[in-house]
Amino acid sequence: MKALNMVLTGVGGQGLITLAATIGRAAVLEGTHVLIAETHGLSQRGGSVEVYVRLGEVNSPLVPPGGADIIASLEIIETLRNLRFAGLSTTIMTDERLIRPNIPGISVPEVEEALKQLRSTGLRVMLIPAYRLAEKAGSIIAANMALLGGMLASGLLEGYITRSSVEKVISEMPARWREVNLKALDLGYAHVEALLGRR
Amino acid sequence: MPSRILGRPGEKVLLLGNEAIARGAVEAGLGWASAYPGTPSTEIVETLHSVSKDLGIHVEWSVNEKVALEAAYAAAISGVRSLAAMKHVGVNVAADPLMSSAYTGVEESLVVVSADDPGMWSSQNEQDNRWYGLHAFIPVFEPYSPAEAKDLTRDAFEFSSRMHHPVILRSTTRLSHTRGPVTLREAKPPVAKGSFKKNVQRWTVIPAHARRLRVELLERWGRIEEEVEKLPYNRLEKHSGGQAIIASGIAYGYVVDALNYLSLRDTVSVLKLSTTVPIPRKLVLDVLSSHESVLVVEELEPVVETWVKRIAYEEKLNTTIRGKDLVNRIGELTLETVTRAVAGFTGAEYPWKPAEAEITLPIPPRPPTLCPGCPHRALFYALKRAVNRSRVKAIYSGDIGCYSLGVMPPFEMQDALIEMGGSIGMANGFAHVDEDKMPVAIIGDSTFFHAGVPGLINAVYNKSPMLVVVLDNRVTAMTGHQPHPGTGFYATGEPAPMVKIEDVARGVGVKHVATIDPFNLKDSEKKLMDAIRYVAEEKKPAVVVARRACTLLIDAAARRRGITEPLYIVDQDKCTGCGICYNAFSCPAIIPLKNGKAEIDPALCTGCGVCAEICPFNAIRLARKGDPEWEKLWF
Ligand SMILES: Cc1ncc(C[n+]2csc(CCOP(=O)(O)OP(=O)(O)O)c2C)c(N)n1
Repeated sequence: MKALNMVLTGVGGQGLITLAATIGRAAVLEGTHVLIAETHGLSQRGGSVEVYVRLGEVNSPLVPPGGADIIASLEIIETLRNLRFAGLSTTIMTDERLIRPNIPGISVPEVEEALKQLRSTGLRVMLIPAYRLAEKAGSIIAANMALLGGMLASGLLEGYITRSSVEKVISEMPARWREVNLKALDLGYAHVEALLGRR
Repeated sequence: MPSRILGRPGEKVLLLGNEAIARGAVEAGLGWASAYPGTPSTEIVETLHSVSKDLGIHVEWSVNEKVALEAAYAAAISGVRSLAAMKHVGVNVAADPLMSSAYTGVEESLVVVSADDPGMWSSQNEQDNRWYGLHAFIPVFEPYSPAEAKDLTRDAFEFSSRMHHPVILRSTTRLSHTRGPVTLREAKPPVAKGSFKKNVQRWTVIPAHARRLRVELLERWGRIEEEVEKLPYNRLEKHSGGQAIIASGIAYGYVVDALNYLSLRDTVSVLKLSTTVPIPRKLVLDVLSSHESVLVVEELEPVVETWVKRIAYEEKLNTTIRGKDLVNRIGELTLETVTRAVAGFTGAEYPWKPAEAEITLPIPPRPPTLCPGCPHRALFYALKRAVNRSRVKAIYSGDIGCYSLGVMPPFEMQDALIEMGGSIGMANGFAHVDEDKMPVAIIGDSTFFHAGVPGLINAVYNKSPMLVVVLDNRVTAMTGHQPHPGTGFYATGEPAPMVKIEDVARGVGVKHVATIDPFNLKDSEKKLMDAIRYVAEEKKPAVVVARRACTLLIDAAARRRGITEPLYIVDQDKCTGCGICYNAFSCPAIIPLKNGKAEIDPALCTGCGVCAEICPFNAIRLARKGDPEWEKLWF
């Protein structure tokens, strides 16, 4: 099975490691090989986070520049920072939320400017309001699952993991997060189905 | 969470590289594990802690790496299969017992896990600890994937047991922090108790014994060299193209993927190496004599390359040998750098073209920062004011922990920073050679116990005037909140004896010892000024312990118990936009608005209230009172 390369990005604390591990467990359920490279330690203290997920016939954990099939992001500055992973056929799925880096006197672009810059690349971009959808589902904690719902609906994960195995993994999470996460997954899924004109 | 590493044999589970190492140790019948935390090694012993009760084995956070290794060594020479884990620089701290452990050998397995950090994701250097294997005569095993990490760890125990010799298992950040599927195997019943058999000839390295032990060590090394040839993890995948790649440890995975992308997997031979010290000579010889050119792909230093070239020289072979001329020596290997090297070696075309997405917008960097509500921020703020108001010139002698972030603006209060415990050690030197300035050592609680105490004793003995500020946030925060001797609890959550920093300071003879709450800025400033005056006048060391728990611990506890935190807001009418709160204090929860005024993000505010103390215009006030229980969580 051809390798599927993903870069998941955002800021420490947004739940990207859980997002990757959910994909990973679903892959194990499906019998799909998977390797996930994470950022731990110092880099997590409010800094940029990049998680690499590779599915299929893979023997090593990193994604080369230009080699990502999907870049999925919960923060727009980090989306732009990680565009080096985009090749000609990369799909970018991102929330438009912007989190200001904590540096005295730093100048930060406006969300609109960032979106304009993103669109100007000519790459395939799907905006997923993961935070808004998660809030609707019950808690912004589930923004990562809303993003995952969108990724599943895009069809790009087909042949690697299925929605039902993801739901099975979520249903093994601690009870208090189960419902919110499933709901957020569903809302993310529906959002992208609508974007693709399937709903 | 019930530990996934205790699943049924045959079960396939998703494990982090470090969890896989822990599982491998369990499958080998591990009875003892000790470690001092350090990224990227921490999760190995953290995972073993989570199963220690179930298995009835001894698992501990030791005070530092040296003690962790000494204790594991003692368990191993008493017949218990033992593991000591540490980050690469931790091996420097433990180097003394490491060297001797090879001289004496061991009774049962001793596996020392060294988790190296190529790329310096969270370290001060990227030393390649395979050199330690060569230096100490200890074999080095290097797995390439989580699945192999599990099996190789188990077999490292078997190897160590069979050879009666310690083994270094070398991991790296990428392996330790990569998750992958791992199939569990049967675990040997753990043996946690042993019996030390007195044998002074063997266990005491006085010169008379050590001279004989050195002879025996080299004999044993000869047998080890033969044994590594038989390990199934070293294997030659031979093809007829005349070119071969020798790939050690994680390089193997990158090489296989690179060859697949370049459509060369069936043309180029690959020698997979999992034991790089000592190198399996016969396999290398086979490769050298059956190929025209060989590329050595390994992370960091040319350890394998040097040996391969030496073998070629000794065997008078003129095979072309390439390595660090094509493969990066600085930073970690990546699929990109390895594919470029393999493409360069074979003449194939590099496969990936990044999209030409031109970014004109300046992208601001996002370095890690002190968290909202971090007591270190308040301490830095108070300390800076105390130093300025005392009119002393300070040398901020820095150390390693979350407070290392004080090196960055706005504080810039880490002037020299080299390794753990170095703040106090260096202050001893500054104190005597640069008498115009006052050394201010800034050290965390965990670091104080780890390597700070000898420096403090030195300061008392050698009369080194210095202010030592111990930032006691009640935990080893940077590596993910492990307990230490000052916390009063174990990793299992059970209560433990508590060693008090003030008692240690007084006990070693420090006469001026004070305790402050960094959230109380005025009192902190005053007591810090008192201590500075004492140091200036008495020419002796003073210790100030700044005690406030890590905000992340409080945040988690509050959430778990449903305790409401206080919340602050900015009164926009009173705010003048002076910027003190978001620039000079630099709390990430305080956001500058377009008009320069401040706003507090309620999702980020932890309710510490320090910003309300520093605002010169009283523009920040309590919007929501916290639960009375909240204040109690902190101490
Ligand atoms: C020899 C060595 N061992 C371990 C580490 C990893 N490490 C970095 S900081 C740190 C401890 C920090 O704890 P503490 O001093 O309490 O400060 P905090 O992070 O809690 O502020 C550790 C263990 C290291 N850098 N060097």
